[in-house]
Amino acid sequence: MTFFIGQVLPYVTVVIFTLGILYRLWRWAMARIVHNITLSPFPQSNAQVAGIYAGEIVLFRNVFLFDKGLWIGAWPMHVALGSVIGGHVVGIYFLGKQFTYIGLSEHLSEQMSALLGTVFGLIMFAGLLYLLYRRLAIDSVRKISVPGDYLHLLLLLGIVSVGNFMRLFPAYGLEYGPAREYITGLVTLHPVPIPDNPLFIIHFLLVQVLLIVFPFSKLMHLFGMFANRWIMNRVYLDPAPGLPGVDLSKGVPVVRAVSEGGVTSAGV
Amino acid sequence: MPEYKGMKQAVRASEEDLRKIHMIPVPDDQKADEALKYLDEMRKKFRSFVTAMESCVKCGLCAENCHTYLGTRDPNNIPAGRADLVRKIYRRYFTPEGRWFGKLVGAEDISLDVIEEWYTYFYQCNECRRCAVVCPFGLDTCEVTMVMRQILHWLGMVPKLHAHVGHAMELTGNHTGLPKPGLVDTLEFLSEEIKDEFGVDVPFPVDKPDSDILYIPSSADFLLNPYTLMGAAMFFHYIGANWTIPSTMAEAGNFGLLFDQQATQRGNVMRLLDAAEKLGVKKIVWGECGHGWRAAKMYIPTLADRPVRWPITHLHDETSYYVQTGQLKLDPGKNNRPVTLHDPCNYGRACGLAENLRITLNACVPDFREMTLNREKNFCCGGGSAILFDDPEMYQLRIKFSQKKADQVRETGVGNNGDGVLCAPCSICKAQLYPMVEEHKLGVEVKGLIDLLGRALVWN
Ligand code: HEM
Ligand code: SF4
Ligand code: SF4
Repeated sequence: MTFFIGQVLPYVTVVIFTLGILYRLWRWAMARIVHNITLSPFPQSNAQVAGIYAGEIVLFRNVFLFDKGLWIGAWPMHVALGSVIGGHVVGIYFLGKQFTYIGLSEHLSEQMSALLGTVFGLIMFAGLLYLLYRRLAIDSVRKISVPGDYLHLLLLLGIVSVGNFMRLFPAYGLEYGPAREYITGLVTLHPVPIPDNPLFIIHFLLVQVLLIVFPFSKLMHLFGMFANRWIMNRVYLDPAPGLPGVDLSKGVPVVRAVSEGGVTSAGV
Repeated sequence: MPEYKGMKQAVRASEEDLRKIHMIPVPDDQKADEALKYLDEMRKKFRSFVTAMESCVKCGLCAENCHTYLGTRDPNNIPAGRADLVRKIYRRYFTPEGRWFGKLVGAEDISLDVIEEWYTYFYQCNECRRCAVVCPFGLDTCEVTMVMRQILHWLGMVPKLHAHVGHAMELTGNHTGLPKPGLVDTLEFLSEEIKDEFGVDVPFPVDKPDSDILYIPSSADFLLNPYTLMGAAMFFHYIGANWTIPSTMAEAGNFGLLFDQQATQRGNVMRLLDAAEKLGVKKIVWGECGHGWRAAKMYIPTLADRPVRWPITHLHDETSYYVQTGQLKLDPGKNNRPVTLHDPCNYGRACGLAENLRITLNACVPDFREMTLNREKNFCCGGGSAILFDDPEMYQLRIKFSQKKADQVRETGVGNNGDGVLCAPCSICKAQLYPMVEEHKLGVEVKGLIDLLGRALVWN
């Protein structure tokens, strides 16, 4: 069983994750932007378009503007999520010594790594719990939720809980060293047995489940946001105003133009 | 009052009405299969539809931002909930997760009940796009509504109102069904009105060859909003423009956008291009019509079957230009009442027409008060996409849909003394708001923007 989870499944996961995402993106790309549906006020340059993307990705600007109660949970959760993912990569690769590059001692760096991991892990846990509460407590949100919406949150909560537990109770945790050894084995296609730590194995298994469902779930919003904003936020330049045959430079021509009134019509 | 299993619905076009817009209705027992076929076609075509189907996180942010949900508290009027009515079918038939794990992702088999839900709730969407503006990913439920109304049209499920307008347009070139002599008579009458009220002789040239400017009015202006048409004529006359109204296309609206974005919408575009070509004009100027302006500005480039040789601008892109360059003499004192502005959704969110309205309005009135949440953040009047149904039950819904707008108007205080003006430069907004300001007792009169400009012009 641990052989399957540790040395076979990771490859299956990566294949499903990658092909699944490519399949989804391919489906989106096959459909077209049929009409110009860019939202106004129209961006006047690509820099402004980039500004819209940046504001939404970095700050969750719309969420902040239109639903502060959601922002309080969503933004910290995603920032923590991003940090945790980054922290895993960097921390495991540098064995927690990454902060020596900004002048800390090795010991301090390891402590810093552990502290940040703990803090972001807890923020994420709190954020997810809050989002779950919100989904149950707010009438409109509950009514548009399907079982999958809850399961995502529970799955992430599961991953984060186990991770946090290992952080907070190092006796049950795993050092960076064996983790790196194991991951290196996977990456270099010479898989070694997964470290014999039940919590780590559960943590690792749940992450694989998350990656497998990723392309078939709303987690595709990560890409969907780019795909959709690509349609909705585009440069549009208006044609120049000013009417042909109209010259007001010598004043209003009204007096000259007063006619006998009525309708002039070629056809009648 | 049509109703389907407790759902209130707009009166439907009869088989005879449908034939007049060239549709053969699909019998009930074939609807489900046909619907899937059409849905498959549309999802392969419209990326905006697919992204809306596949990347909603159900955060629910859009709920409190859609006035139809605010007014009815019906979960099917939450933008994401509205999209769910088709998302459950989309998932079931067109995604692996829906096929294999249907229950988990809320997939459902198609049935006549579902199709009736579509007809009910995709005609309770105002296509206002506020959901697209607020959604963190810009997911546009209006696009979902448009795709679904197309499918409903192909199934032969169109409101009588929309089918009638489509037919009138084909017959006469305008929505009110006025033939050319009727148009000319009305314009003669309006010309006399201008003479009586403002003391100037202002002609309404119709089909005048070799005009520089083709003015496309909303046909509702002929009967319901005469001051809009009078204001536009006074503006053109004032600046000495060589302009004309085409009798074959006296219609700024294009209901194709609202129920059939293919044959119907394209047909109206070709009608416009024919008129412009025949009269030898140099520029086309669009009248006060929100959805029509969106259809013209944003859709003509992708719908015209031949090169479009004329720049097309909106009347208020032009009025604001002449105001800004100081070329009009205006006396705001002539509109001495408190005024607030309702931003038509199609102008503010789809056409980039918001600042220019303010430039013109500020020059025409002494006391302009912004609504809270304006421009692209404004709330719809509740009439958007012409769901202006008059039968009692649907009318009740319209009152609910306009509740948010009523609150906004009241907040500005313009109606406190009962002499306020609610400026709404769009025919559908006007048609919705005329009765709604009475229903909500707002103490305001609804007017177009060019109405106010026409009145403020200083002649001599
Ligand atoms: C550029 C990247 C991303 C952006 C801009 C983004 C943005 C958002 C926003 C605006 C929401 C709605 C607010 C909310 O419900 O929390 C959301 C929801 C969510 N996101 Fe992301 N996200 C990103 C990446 C990710 C990734 C990589 C994951 C997970 C692995 C993720 C997991 C979730 C989950 C689970 C929800 C639903 C929360 C709920 O059920 O209430 N997001 N995301
Ligand atoms: S705001 Fe956007 S992502 Fe959130 S529920 Fe509405 S449509 Fe879905
Ligand atoms: S387009 Fe307007 S009415 Fe329709 S769902 Fe979106 S916000 Fe609601």
